[in-house]
Amino acid sequence: MTNSIPEIRDADFLFVTGSNTSEAHPIIAMEMKRAILRGAKLAVADPRKIWMTEIADWHMQLKPGSDVWLLNAMAHVIVTEGLQSDDFIAQNTEEFERVRENVLRYPPEEAEEITGVPAETIREVARAYATTEKAGIYYTLGITEHTTGTDNVYALSNLVLMTGHLGIRSAGMNPLRGQNNVQGANDSGATPVFYPGYQNADDPAVRAKYSEAWGVPQSETTGLNLNEMMKAMSDGRLKALYLLGEDIVISEPNVCRVEQAMNELDFVVVQDIFFNESCRYADVVLPAACFAEKEGVFTNSDRRVQRVRKAVEPPGQARADWEILVEIMKRSGLEQPDYQGTAEIYTEMASLAPKFAGISHERIENEGGLQWPVTTPDAPSCEYLHKGGILRGKGLFVPVEYRPPFEQEDIEYPLVLSTGRTLYHYNAATQTRRNEQLAHKQPEGFVEVHPKNARRMGIEDGQLVDVVTRRGRVRARVMHSRQVRFNAIWMPFHFPDVRTNYLTTDAGDAVTGTGEYKVCAARLEPVPESIPEQVFPGAFAAVE
Amino acid sequence: MSDFVIIDGNEISFEPGETLLQAAKRAEIEIPTLCWDPRLEPAGACRMCLVEIEGSRLMQPACSYKAAANQVVRTQTSRVQRNREFILSLHLADTIQDRDVMEDNNPSRIHELAEVYGTAGDWTPVAKQRVGRPNDVNKFISFRPDRCILCSLCTRYCDQVEAVSAITLAGRGAHTTISTADERSLTDTTCELCGGCVDVCPTGAMTEKAAVEYGKPERELEKVRTTCNFCGVGCQIDLNIDTEANRIVKVTSPPPGTTVNDGNLCVKGRFANDFVHHEDRLTTPLVREPGGGLREATWDEALDRVVKGLQAASARHGKDSLAFISSSRCTGEENYLMQKLARAGFGTHNIHQCAAT
Repeated sequence: MTNSIPEIRDADFLFVTGSNTSEAHPIIAMEMKRAILRGAKLAVADPRKIWMTEIADWHMQLKPGSDVWLLNAMAHVIVTEGLQSDDFIAQNTEEFERVRENVLRYPPEEAEEITGVPAETIREVARAYATTEKAGIYYTLGITEHTTGTDNVYALSNLVLMTGHLGIRSAGMNPLRGQNNVQGANDSGATPVFYPGYQNADDPAVRAKYSEAWGVPQSETTGLNLNEMMKAMSDGRLKALYLLGEDIVISEPNVCRVEQAMNELDFVVVQDIFFNESCRYADVVLPAACFAEKEGVFTNSDRRVQRVRKAVEPPGQARADWEILVEIMKRSGLEQPDYQGTAEIYTEMASLAPKFAGISHERIENEGGLQWPVTTPDAPSCEYLHKGGILRGKGLFVPVEYRPPFEQEDIEYPLVLSTGRTLYHYNAATQTRRNEQLAHKQPEGFVEVHPKNARRMGIEDGQLVDVVTRRGRVRARVMHSRQVRFNAIWMPFHFPDVRTNYLTTDAGDAVTGTGEYKVCAARLEPVPESIPEQVFPGAFAAVE
Repeated sequence: MSDFVIIDGNEISFEPGETLLQAAKRAEIEIPTLCWDPRLEPAGACRMCLVEIEGSRLMQPACSYKAAANQVVRTQTSRVQRNREFILSLHLADTIQDRDVMEDNNPSRIHELAEVYGTAGDWTPVAKQRVGRPNDVNKFISFRPDRCILCSLCTRYCDQVEAVSAITLAGRGAHTTISTADERSLTDTTCELCGGCVDVCPTGAMTEKAAVEYGKPERELEKVRTTCNFCGVGCQIDLNIDTEANRIVKVTSPPPGTTVNDGNLCVKGRFANDFVHHEDRLTTPLVREPGGGLREATWDEALDRVVKGLQAASARHGKDSLAFISSSRCTGEENYLMQKLARAGFGTHNIHQCAAT
C-alpha cells in the first residue's frame, strides 16, 4: 500500500476493485465504512455483488477478466474530457503520450459491449475519481489473479499517475495484502528475484555482498517462481521440495497436475503445524510452533513491521520454525551464529538491507510498529510512500492492451467460474475449519449459481452438483445467489472436501506467474437424486 | 487556534465542533464515562459525564456538549461528584451488584468506576423486565439481559463501525432490551460475528460463550500483545492466557486509538483461535519408511533425513533441482532464514512463497 490503513477513513473517494473487502479484510472495510458514513463516495468494480456494493454509489459489475477494457475506458474519459493533472504528469511522470494515444482506442461505448458496464457509469466513476483530490484505489486478487494481472495493475497505475492521486494522505494505490506476513515474506527475500529489502538477485554487486556476508558464493542462475516451480516439478527439473507452512495441494491452481508432480519428486519435506494435505507426499514431516508460540515480526499490508510474541508453549516436541531452520543450516555444514533469539536474526537481515536498516525489535518494543522504509535508527516510520516526488524518480506510464482470459466460456463449458474467499474461513482453512463455532456457521463448500440460470438448468437451491472444467470435477452444494452474474458461478476454495483447485487453470501471468483463479470455463452436472439442503445461508443472505 | 475553553481553571484550545470530553482528554483531565467510545457518535445515555458549566443551570454531558470560546467548565465540584455517585448507584441497582458474580468473564466498567468515584449506597435492585433471546443458537456471543444497562454501545457499534445493524434496541420503557430482527439467532441475521459488541460492553452483558464456559474471569488471565495471524491488516490482538493451563482463553482488542485496528477485530481474529490447542496439532517429527507409511521419529533422525535427502538430490541432479517454498504465514525472521537456507545452504535461488497466488 502506498497509504496507511488509518488514512482510509479520511478519503473522499474509494475505488475498490477486485477486493471483497468486508470478507477478506474486514478491518479495512470498517475504515471504508467510516469514510462512507462521513460522506465519501464509493465505486466498486467487481463481477460479483458483494457487501460493499450494497453501500456503493456505483457498482460496475464487469465480466470476469475484462478489467483492462474497463480501466482503459476510465482513462479514456479522463484524457478526452481533460480531467488529467497536467502539472503532476509534467513534473513526476514519463511516457504519458503513449498511454493517452492507447486509451483513445478504448471508448466507454465499446467498453460497455465487452465488460457489460454501462458507458454512462464508466464516465461518472472516471469523472468522480479524477476530480476528487483524496481518491484512493484499493485492490486485491481480483486484479492480480489473471493472466493479465500485471496489465491490470499497470492500467490502475496509469489512472493514479494521470490524476496525480499519489504522494498525499488518503490518495494512492493500495494492494491489500491477503496474508499476515505476505509483505514480510517478500521483504525478507523469500522470492527468486530479490534478496532481502528488494535488492535485485540478478545484480552482481548484490550477489557479491551476500557472498561475502554469508561466506558462500551465490548462484549465478535465475531462480524459479512458485508457478514455474509447479511446472518444473511436472517436467522433472525439480527433484526435491522443502515446503514451509503452505498446503500447495489445496491452494495451487490445477492441483491435479501438482499432485501428479509431487509423486514424481525424490524427496519432500513438509514443515507445518498440522498434518495438511501436502503431508501425504512427504518423506519427512516436521512439527512447527504456531504464531502464538514464538517470537518474531510480521509485516502487514501498509508496510508496518510489528511484533509477534510468545504466549503459550508449543505442543509436544513442536519447535519454532526459525529454530528448525537454523538447525538444518548447521547440519548442512553452513556455519551459523548462535542466535539467542529472533531479535538477532532481524538485526542480521537489517544490517544487509538498507530499507530496514533502522528497524529492530528493540525499536518496535519502544515505539510500536514501524512502517518501512526506515533507513537509520533515528529515521521516523513512513506513513505513506512517494511523498514529495515519486520514489523511482519518474512515474512510468505503461500502455496496456486488452487480452481475453486464457479460457473463455463455450458450448461445452458455458459458465465462467471464479474462486475466492469468505469471511468465515481462511485460505486452506487448516486453522479455521478446526474451529467448532466457524464450522457451525459455514460448514462446507458451495457453488453460487444465479437462480434464473439454475432454474433454466433445472438445479434447485441446496442440491448437489458436479462442477466440471477441462481439468477436473468437484462435487459441491449449489447456493442460489444473486451475487453472481447470470452466466457466472463462484466457489470458495477453503474446503478439503470440495477441492476447488482441481478445477482452476494454472495458466499464469507472464511476469508474476500468478494463476488465473478468477476465470475458467465450467459446466454444472446435477447429481441425480440429491436431496436439496441449505446449510449456509450465504455471506450476507439476510440483506438479499 | 485562538479559542479556549476553561476546564477546572486550565485554558484548553479546541477544534471547532469538538466536545468538552475531547478537549478535556487532550489536557488529561479525567471525566468518567460509561456509554462513550471514540469511534461512535456520542449518545449521552449514561449521564456519568455530567459537568457544571458556568451560566447553565443544568449540568451537561461532556461527551456530547460542544466546547465554546471562554466557556468555564468544572469537573471536580461536589455537585458533579454527587451526580457520579448517584448515577453509579442507579446503574448498579440495574445490574449485578456483587462484583465477583458480575466479573465472571469480562471486567465491569461500572464496578471499576464505583471503586474510583464511590457510590450513593447500595440501592434496592430494579425488578428486571428485560428479556434476552433464549432460543439464540449461535455459538459465539450471548446476551445476558440481567447485566445490561442500555448504554447502547453495542447497538451503536453495530450500526456505526461494523455497519451491519444486526442488533438493535427493542421494546419500550422497562421492557427495552437488545434484540435482533424477529429475535432470530445472531448467525441468522446480518451479524458478521466481529464481536465488537462484546468488546465495547461495559458490563459483560454481551459476552463470549466459550470464554464464559471456560470459567476463568479476564482479570485472572495474562494478556500477551501480538499480531493476528490471519489476513494482511496486521491487527494487534491481546491473547488472554491461562498461564497455569498453558491455554489461550480468548482474544481481546487493544483499546481504540492505540493500534492500526483502532480497537476493532473480525470474526477470525477474535474467535478462530481454537486451532492453537487442537488435538490435530503435529507434536512429533515423522519420517517415511522405505516404500511405506510415515512413522514417528526423533528430531535428530528427522533433521538428518532432511539434510541427507536435500544433499542427495543436489548431488545427483544439481543445485537447481531443489526448490524451497517459504511461508507468508511465518515470521520475517523465518522467511529470511528460509531464503538463506536456499541461497547459502544449497546454492539456489529457487525460493518463493504464495505471494504469487
